[in-house]
Amino acid sequence: MSSPIRSPDGNWWDNPLASTEKKWLGASIITAVILFGWMFGWMHIGDQNPTGRTYTTSSAQYRKQVAAYKEKATRTEQGLRPAGRDVYIAGLQFGFDGLPVVLEAGREYRVHLGSYDVQHGFSVRDEDDLIQQFNLQMLPGYEWVVPMTFDDPGTYRVVCNEFCGLGHSGMQGKFVVVEGGS
Amino acid sequence: MNLALLSAPYDEDGFRSCSVTGLKLHRSAERPVKLFVITAVVAMVLGGIAALLVALTRWEAVGLLPAADFYKWLSVHAWSLLIFWMVFMEIAILYVGGPMVLGRKLPAPKLAWTGWSLMVGSAGLILYAVWVSSPPNYQPLLTSYAPLESHPLFYLGAILFILGAVVAALPFFTSIWQEKVENPDRSLPLVTFGAFMTSIIALEALLGGLITYVPTFLWRIGALESIDASWYRQMYWTIGHGTQQINLVAMITVWYFMTYVAGGAEVISEKVSRSAFILYVFFINLGAAHHILADPVVSSGWRMWNCSYATYGAVLASLIHAFSIPAGLEVGRRRKGLGDGWFGWLKSAPWSDPGFSATTFSIILFGFMGGITGVLMGQMQLNTLRHNTFAVPGHFHGTVAVGTTLAFMGFAFYGIKLLFRRDWVAKWMAKAQPFFYAGAMGIVVLAMMDIGIIYGVPRRHPSVMDLPGTAFDFSASAPLFGVMGVTAVLAVLAGAAFVIVAVGSLLFGEETRPSEMLPDYSGLETVGTSAHLTSMRGTAALTAFLLFVLGLFYAVDWMWLARLWEFGA
Ligand code: HEM
Ligand SMILES: [Cu+2]
Ligand SMILES: [Cu+2]
Repeated sequence: MSSPIRSPDGNWWDNPLASTEKKWLGASIITAVILFGWMFGWMHIGDQNPTGRTYTTSSAQYRKQVAAYKEKATRTEQGLRPAGRDVYIAGLQFGFDGLPVVLEAGREYRVHLGSYDVQHGFSVRDEDDLIQQFNLQMLPGYEWVVPMTFDDPGTYRVVCNEFCGLGHSGMQGKFVVVEGGS
Repeated sequence: MNLALLSAPYDEDGFRSCSVTGLKLHRSAERPVKLFVITAVVAMVLGGIAALLVALTRWEAVGLLPAADFYKWLSVHAWSLLIFWMVFMEIAILYVGGPMVLGRKLPAPKLAWTGWSLMVGSAGLILYAVWVSSPPNYQPLLTSYAPLESHPLFYLGAILFILGAVVAALPFFTSIWQEKVENPDRSLPLVTFGAFMTSIIALEALLGGLITYVPTFLWRIGALESIDASWYRQMYWTIGHGTQQINLVAMITVWYFMTYVAGGAEVISEKVSRSAFILYVFFINLGAAHHILADPVVSSGWRMWNCSYATYGAVLASLIHAFSIPAGLEVGRRRKGLGDGWFGWLKSAPWSDPGFSATTFSIILFGFMGGITGVLMGQMQLNTLRHNTFAVPGHFHGTVAVGTTLAFMGFAFYGIKLLFRRDWVAKWMAKAQPFFYAGAMGIVVLAMMDIGIIYGVPRRHPSVMDLPGTAFDFSASAPLFGVMGVTAVLAVLAGAAFVIVAVGSLLFGEETRPSEMLPDYSGLETVGTSAHLTSMRGTAALTAFLLFVLGLFYAVDWMWLARLWEFGA
């Protein structure tokens, strides 16, 4: 009998495999192929991917960009209304510059994510249906442009979910999504 | 009180033989093993106290600590348990799996002591740095993500701890080398082989750790101008994830060892089990990419390639062990006439032996909780559903807090008898402990996962029921936090029961002859067909069920993701 604390005897490499174990190996390999294929496939057929263009930047430069964007946007009671399809958001200790912002449902925006200081988290959820949520990372030194289309009007809450200092727990903002054309 | 630590039935050469395992143990190996295990248990006590404080804070009905203290204790919790408890145990496992299983002396025992001193000293330094940190020195938590600054001594401590662990591992490497020189044609026993693979992965991880922490330390003391957040994340996870692979592979090695000693298992295929260990060495490191799946800088191709690469390599290896370990138990017991039918071999198993029950719960819970959630989160798109939510601590408590910790607890229960040769005190407590801990911690893990995934509650957050500056909060998740809080308290008590049995046995346990206390399968005659022709249908059913559950959650997760609004290019 083969013990894990004794050197195996003879030519153990050629010992036959149990047929059940062979079948399991096959099932495992098929599982791995499915996992791999589906993830790649979703890039083409799926509408939810944590992807977009990334640019290197600096805190100072990103601040300037955000300021220029806010300049052009309209201030409303509910928040900024962007002039075009670009929406700039910056994490900072402890808040989101650029939020709240008012967007139209069904319209695709290019959401620019960046940070003025340390790493932050960009965690968005539908206020009325918390299970509808997703999470991305915001890094200083990088500007990440992630296209985003909110299908339904409503309030979408953003919280920071990367520890960024003692005020981390108070770092939040929101998207106000209104009916298209309104 | 007795002098368990000193008593010694060694022969003139310093060897004694173990009546249960039949191993020849040398004094030079046994003493450091005891020392490392005891140190690990001390770390566990500290980490356990921190666990209680942290859990009672996140359970906001209690809301124990203010934010600053919460982060302090969360850092203590992470470092004491994930790093100190685990790494000290792992060095002990290397010495058991290497010199002890090979029946050799520990080469250069001084290095073991030097490594230990360095590790203990630097652990103290890290805890001190955590303790005195206040802005602009932020709590490191586990990850100390630059450019948020932690105390300079923290980085220094991390560097020294890594060096200490490398020094402590050197005697192990030397013993493998000596064995290979003296017996070039003899294969290493499987447990030694597993320990050896663990140590190679450890070296990779520790090297990555130096590459991470040395520049970060230099940056922190001002010798380097700036540090790139993305670089830090990528480098950090070579050690951050690498150490988890050490935990994983060490745990699997313990699984092979314990199912054999406590359950009478056999190795059904040396070829397959060893190949799986080798897969880990080659494939596991880049799997660390799954920590940066929601990051902007690494390209999607890079992310998916590394995750699929790891999916092919590492998940495959894990699936292989997930079959071959229970199958080894099934075959070993069937061939000894211990149970028939589908699950007779499990029914007849020594469930009242905490070494066995802890190991078995570790295997089952690791697979179903840590394993399945890990595979889900390792898919780039599904990762966005969980990244940095409370489901992440849910996942890794499924791997390290029930999986690895339970396996190490079972291993330590046996160590008390086999190495310290003490009987367990409070036997009823020893017997109940694995059930109690697995049950309570299992519920904690489920609650954490659900809180994260259903309500999107962030991790590392002391007050989600009351967010400053807004009416919005996560109070919908309060009932589940209640479940987590209550079971967390129970889990800490179960951890305390382990410490009571362990420490109590060392201090007050009766000297014992283990052969009378532990199952001894060597007397049972092996019957029936050869191993590969023995039925494995019980294991086949269990592992098929595992794949089924994985498939189910996989499908649910993707459907759920598809319901979200559109994002991404
Ligand atoms: C009684 C057992 C335990 C309980 C009740 C417990 C509870 C918790 C809680 C509530 C958190 C905070 C999660 C957050 O707010 O983000 C946490 C974090 C953590 N725990 Fe545990 N835990 C236990 C055991 C363990 C063990 C055995 C390990 C490792 C071996 C461990 C490793 C960690 C780590 C690494 C973190 C994350 C720290 C960070 O965010 O940097 N825990 N635990
Ligand atoms: Cu933040
Ligand atoms: Cu934050």
